[in-house]
Amino acid sequence: MPRRNDLSRRDFLIRAGATAAAIPTLSAILDACTKPGQPANGSSDAFQIARPDNPVTLPMNGEPIATDTPIEQGATLEILNWSVYMWNYVIKQFISQQAGNGIKFSGITTFNNMDEGVQKLQSGKVKADVFFPTIDVLGKLVAADLLQPLNHDLIPALQHDNWAAFQNPYYDQQWRYSVPYTIYTTGIGYRRDVIHDDVIHGMDNPWSILWDPTYKGQIGVYPSYRDVMAIVLMKNGITDLNTGNPDDLATLRSDLLAMIDATDPRIAYDAAYNKLPKGNFSAVTAWSGDIVAAWGYNPPYTEKAYQNVGYWFPADRKGPIDNDLIAIPKNAEHPRLAHEFINYWISFKNAMNNFSWNGYQPPQTKANVDALTKEQGLYNKQSSSWAAATSYVGPWMPDAAVRESDFPIGYREGPLPPDVDDQWHQIWSEFQAGVS
Amino acid sequence: MSVSSEAAPVPRRRRRKTHAADEERVHYSRWFWPSFTIPATIWLAILFILPLYTVISIAFGTVDPIFRGPLPVYEPWWWSGNQFGRVIDDSFSFYRPVYVHTFEYVIVASAICLVLSYTVAYYVARFGGKRKALLLVLLIAPFFISYLMRMLAWINLLDTQGYVNKILTFLHITPHPIDWLGGRPSTVIMGLVYGYVPYMVLPLYAFLDRIDPNLLEAGRDLGAGPARTFFRVTLPLSRPGILAALVIVSLPMFGDYYTNNLLSGSPKTTMLGNLVDEAVNSTGQGNKAAAFVLILMLLVLIPMLYYMRSTSKSLAVR
Repeated sequence: MPRRNDLSRRDFLIRAGATAAAIPTLSAILDACTKPGQPANGSSDAFQIARPDNPVTLPMNGEPIATDTPIEQGATLEILNWSVYMWNYVIKQFISQQAGNGIKFSGITTFNNMDEGVQKLQSGKVKADVFFPTIDVLGKLVAADLLQPLNHDLIPALQHDNWAAFQNPYYDQQWRYSVPYTIYTTGIGYRRDVIHDDVIHGMDNPWSILWDPTYKGQIGVYPSYRDVMAIVLMKNGITDLNTGNPDDLATLRSDLLAMIDATDPRIAYDAAYNKLPKGNFSAVTAWSGDIVAAWGYNPPYTEKAYQNVGYWFPADRKGPIDNDLIAIPKNAEHPRLAHEFINYWISFKNAMNNFSWNGYQPPQTKANVDALTKEQGLYNKQSSSWAAATSYVGPWMPDAAVRESDFPIGYREGPLPPDVDDQWHQIWSEFQAGVS
Repeated sequence: MSVSSEAAPVPRRRRRKTHAADEERVHYSRWFWPSFTIPATIWLAILFILPLYTVISIAFGTVDPIFRGPLPVYEPWWWSGNQFGRVIDDSFSFYRPVYVHTFEYVIVASAICLVLSYTVAYYVARFGGKRKALLLVLLIAPFFISYLMRMLAWINLLDTQGYVNKILTFLHITPHPIDWLGGRPSTVIMGLVYGYVPYMVLPLYAFLDRIDPNLLEAGRDLGAGPARTFFRVTLPLSRPGILAALVIVSLPMFGDYYTNNLLSGSPKTTMLGNLVDEAVNSTGQGNKAAAFVLILMLLVLIPMLYYMRSTSKSLAVR
């Protein structure tokens, strides 16, 4: 005979069922118990949201370092950046140049997403001299007093070597805190041996190839809600990539979820640079830089094999376009060295050498964009023993080269107000959950 | 026989008496024996209770107004149920298939693990003989390689140009390579089985090895055949071991996200662990991640309670 406190199997199931039934009611009770305070959806009052038609001049948090500040002797250069985004060879060249100052370099502290990067900066555990933020967090970093203003006199390469479009960018008027690092478009990467160039270029709406059931099971998308959803908007002719319009969001939701039934897409961070060249996917959402870098992931690493990888971006160049940044954290221990490094990094020769390795183009005035598909960069020349000895950008994918003229007509992804961002996240969550 | 069975209790009584006498002579403080639990209590407090309370404080907490990172609120009277409530509501709407997938995959994978592990553990325990130690080493050999590496190896094996497809097409079993990594539930289940099966073999072996062979012989002496002996004696006796092994593998499976990420990546096979992973890595979604963690905990608490109840009942029977 069971003891009085024992649950019989039936009791157990009944109680478990009752608990499950009670849980939805719990949410209403919990709602009622909400205490006033900072709402969970945050607030954007602390910083201005920058848009090309609403440029922002960020407030000055102190003064830049003096021009005559000497380079810190015997310092170790600390870099906080995405992984696989800088060629160590170019960094070491800088260290060699600075041998007289005893400068050392031990490696890059990396992050996997911008939140992680910001967290490392915020915690103070990483005292980076240079940090590589995205545009959407720049205003937040300044609002949180995590960046220091730049001394323009110490970074002459910006004016000498970089595009005019970045001399006074909308997200950081007077470039008080940032310089541009790389530029890229977001388009469609595809296997040219599966989808011929004339097929995709001949389509009325090539964005819709991600919904083409012909390629079911062969579609890959980034685990990046903004970029994937930007492509859904582009497919539907909606060019405000930061939309909070309910009708736009309804279209966005239904079309994103329709992709699941149509092509059963897979989510992979290496969709463009790795899985596409390896033949796992036939079409993917792709940053131009990932496609240009794909030659290094393309067995058997010959130019012929690499020629199977193509990139489509609208012929009128009206599509998603963006750039990444370089900044100096407020707690940098070697700010003078950081200025020196930034100036070195965005100067023509070094920026192009780095481009030849990571595939992400810098906005260099002296670089002839038309020649990028013909000229070889430093790494392309060095790597010919094991990988495709191609030009900066494969001649068969001219769409992957970014032009200065693309920026005024391209569409930018900026930070979203918290309530709009929540709606975007909600749609992405449904997609992730496989709702169709 | 009768002599030895009668003689045996005498020294036992003597030993007990001597032991009791020893205890009477030594005066322990009333806190002496409980003090043995202090290290484990500190360990639990630091590595389980505090983190758990932090997760709860995040789930019911707020966000950083600038970066929208999660901010734990440790005072319960300031907790907000908005985010948690929303996750609960969504769990009954569009997240429901994810819960269903997760339970399906975990149940099927655990069942396959059980069949595979039980047969192997049974063989080693009953027929391993002198090779038991060697067989056990071989069984735990997969542990020598990291879980991540083992899963990455499967990608190369199951790739459309991988060895599995090469063999299948070479043997004309399939005319074209099969897209094993194309979002197939079977591949995810296989990955889970492969990843967790060693964790099940060892506890099962430990239980099966402890079964008194005399009980099996008694069953046979009473006329039961090998199959009947197994189903009437071995299997019931190994039930606590089966439950323990199931708990050991199924609990981490519920929170697994990497297997699905690597071997599928399709939204159609998303598991609860993937939702936590996605929320953790998304700006402003930290509270949601904590809410998922709590829900997952509550869900796995149900089989855990069932296990505890079964175990305590079987102990009471003994």
